[in-house]
Formats: sequence, structure tokens, C-alpha cells
Amino acid sequence: MCELRKRGLVTAVILSEPFLKLGKSQSRVFGVPDLPLLLIPHPLGGLDLDGVKGRAQHAVPQVLELIKEYVK
Amino acid sequence: MTGITALLKSPGASLEAEDDFDAVNELLRARGWSDGLPAIPPTAERVERMLAYCDRPWDEPVAKMAPRYGEATPLRLAANAVMAGCRPEYFPLLMLAVEAMCEEPFNLYAIQATTHLCAPLVVVNGPVVKELDINAGHNAFGPGWQANATIGRAIRLALVNIGGAIPGSGDMSTFGAPSKFSYLAAENEAQSPWEPLHVERGLPREASAVTVVGAECPHNVNDHESITAEGILTTIAGTMLDTGANDVFYEAQPMIVMGPEHAKTVAAGGFSKEQAKRFLHEHAHLPLGRFSKENIDRRLRITWKEQFANAGPDAPVPMVRRAEDILIAVIGGAGKHSAVINTFGATKAVTRALKTRGGQYAKSVEDFRK
Repeated sequence: MCELRKRGLVTAVILSEPFLKLGKSQSRVFGVPDLPLLLIPHPLGGLDLDGVKGRAQHAVPQVLELIKEYVK
Repeated sequence: MTGITALLKSPGASLEAEDDFDAVNELLRARGWSDGLPAIPPTAERVERMLAYCDRPWDEPVAKMAPRYGEATPLRLAANAVMAGCRPEYFPLLMLAVEAMCEEPFNLYAIQATTHLCAPLVVVNGPVVKELDINAGHNAFGPGWQANATIGRAIRLALVNIGGAIPGSGDMSTFGAPSKFSYLAAENEAQSPWEPLHVERGLPREASAVTVVGAECPHNVNDHESITAEGILTTIAGTMLDTGANDVFYEAQPMIVMGPEHAKTVAAGGFSKEQAKRFLHEHAHLPLGRFSKENIDRRLRITWKEQFANAGPDAPVPMVRRAEDILIAVIGGAGKHSAVINTFGATKAVTRALKTRGGQYAKSVEDFRK
């Protein structure tokens, strides 16, 4: 993901809150501290299909916003 | 101090602290450079004494430790070894273990950062076991032996301080495990009826070696009744049955630790290690229906599609995909016990020999002395 970001593609990591620190430190480690980290509610595991769709609904507007910023 | 003085002047390599044990420990804890236990202050003098057993440049990284990908230089490793209470002669083995777990197939990033409770287990083989007095007998995985306790602890401190395995950021383990303090034992080669682990994995017997496994804690196999190889192996295979093990979902390499008495019984029944592995592989199966419906539909039917996409509840699910993927080590003292050590799953065991900088098998840790 970090490599894609370096190549200028619209890139983001979608993660839940407990993994935010890990996401931030990893994006620093791999040289893209500005890598967008899109937060969704925790957890992602142990959800039924509707639950997974709900998580996607949290993520999609954030992804769209990111793309809009990119094409400005 | 001529050797180390220049290195310590580079940015971030050292800091001034009050010459007081409690103050230094307060500082270490405040900075997060800690496993929570008191540490020996890593003074320049102590670190340099540790480095007496290093034949490589002290500031040249031997590996990068995930997830921070911090450079594991001898200097940094030596500081962690001092903090852990290692004797200087342990240092070559610490370096070797760190190099082994930073090899790609081990998947240290995932081992460190996962929510699973795994920790790198180090099994030591060869002449270095006797030379460093590493416990292979009673309580080999437990306390009571300086080499086991402190080399294992130095590895953990390096994983935290160099690798960044900080609980809640670089180490996301849901609840961790006591093996994350220290997890190192030697194989009891003298009591093993089979070739040692490092020989089985392609090294000469006279080599000293470590095998690192991304492992759970040992799970005991009690069998005081079986007097045949098949009996002992049936009990071990039964203990391997586990619907919650990562290993079921990966091409995993779990380790079977056989107590010497169990190993003797199995070997006396005519079983080579290879035959024992085959028996365990053939007998460690659970019917598909023993798994939860969700695990069947969302994991097993997808991960092992060819076997289980349309399989019924009686279809056997192997705990290990291939017999040869089972690792067997003989460890421990007297007693009718063995242990099953499951793994993180997405990891391969790595065996690495102790070699001098010139590439020769080390005969002794003294070969590394400057």
C-alpha cells in the first residue's frame, strides 16, 4: 500500500480504532506518514454479512471523499 | 573504552543517566524500553564486555526487526543483552536467533503485530548447548537457568526496543502469553533416540544451531498408561485436535515436543521420526462438523476449497496439511509427558547454524571472541 502511495495512486488503509496506532507507525516506517487511514468501527472479525456491509458503508464515503480530493 | 566510545557518540546511541540502579530502571520504564521487569543498566562498560563475543562490526546491522524495521546492530543487541542479564558468552547465540527470526519465511512482522498470542520460540541444538549450559532437561521451558531465561529475555527486549513490539501499537496481541517474556530451550540430544532437530533440518551434527518457531505456549500431553508407540502417538494426535488453532487454516508447522520417556517408547516401537510424523498426520483429524458453521462456511470451505467446498460433516479435517511439516524435538527430563506447540500458522520454522564471520561452523562461542 505504501509503495502504491509513493507512486501517486489514490491509496488508503481502512482500519478499526484499536489498529490506528499500528497504522500510523507503519506508514511512518514505510516512508509515507501522510498515508490516509480511514477509520471504521471495531471489530471487523466475527460479523455477519449485514455487519460487514455496515462497515463498508462507513468506509465508502471516506473513500469517495479521498478520491474527490485527488481529482480536484 | 576505545572500541565503543566513538560509536556511542552517534546520535541516539547513548544517553546520560544518574548512576543509580533504580533511577536507570525508572528511565527505562518511562521510555518504554522495558518488559516490565527490572533490568541491568546497560552502561558502556557492560555493553562493551558483551561485545567481546562479537566478531562483526558493532554498528553494522545483522537484520531489520519488524514491525518498526529497526536496525539490529550488535551494539543495540548488546545493550538489550545486558539489560536482560546475559553473560557475554551468550551473545553469539542471541545474534543468531535474531538473524533467524528476521528471515522472510518466519514472517516476523505478523508474529509481532498479530492479535494472536504467538512468540518466537528458540530451540537450540549442538555443542553450544553444553558450552553455555542451556537447559534441555527438567523445566527446560521454565525458570531456573540463566542461559534460557536471559537469552530468551534479551530476544524479547530486542523485539520491543528494536522491533517496536509495543503492546497496543506494534504488538496487537489480544492478551499475549507468558512465553513473550522468554521462550528458549535446548533439545535433549543425549536422551533423544533420533537424530537431532538441526541434523534433520540439514546441518551437520557438530554444528550449533537455532530453530525458531512462531509458537504458542506448550500444551501438555499426559500419557502415563500407554506402553506402545501407537499408544503414545495416539494420545499426542488426540491433543493436537483443536478447532481454534491457527494451524488448521494455514500450511502450518506445529512442533511436537516429546519428553525423552515418550520418545524412547515411540522409538522402541520401531518408529523413526518420519514415521511418527506420518502417524500423527494420519490420526490428527477432526470431522468437519466439529467446527462452527461459520468457520466451515467462511474459512474451511474457502481456504481449502478443493477438499471442503462441498464436503459433508464427516469429512476429515487434518490438523496439519503435510506430515513433513510436523516438527519433532525431544526436550525435557523424566516423566510421561510430551507437549503440542501450535503456531501462528502463517510462519515457517527457520533453522540457522552458528557460523563465524568467515562462514565456518563455530566450534565454540570462543570463536567469536575478539
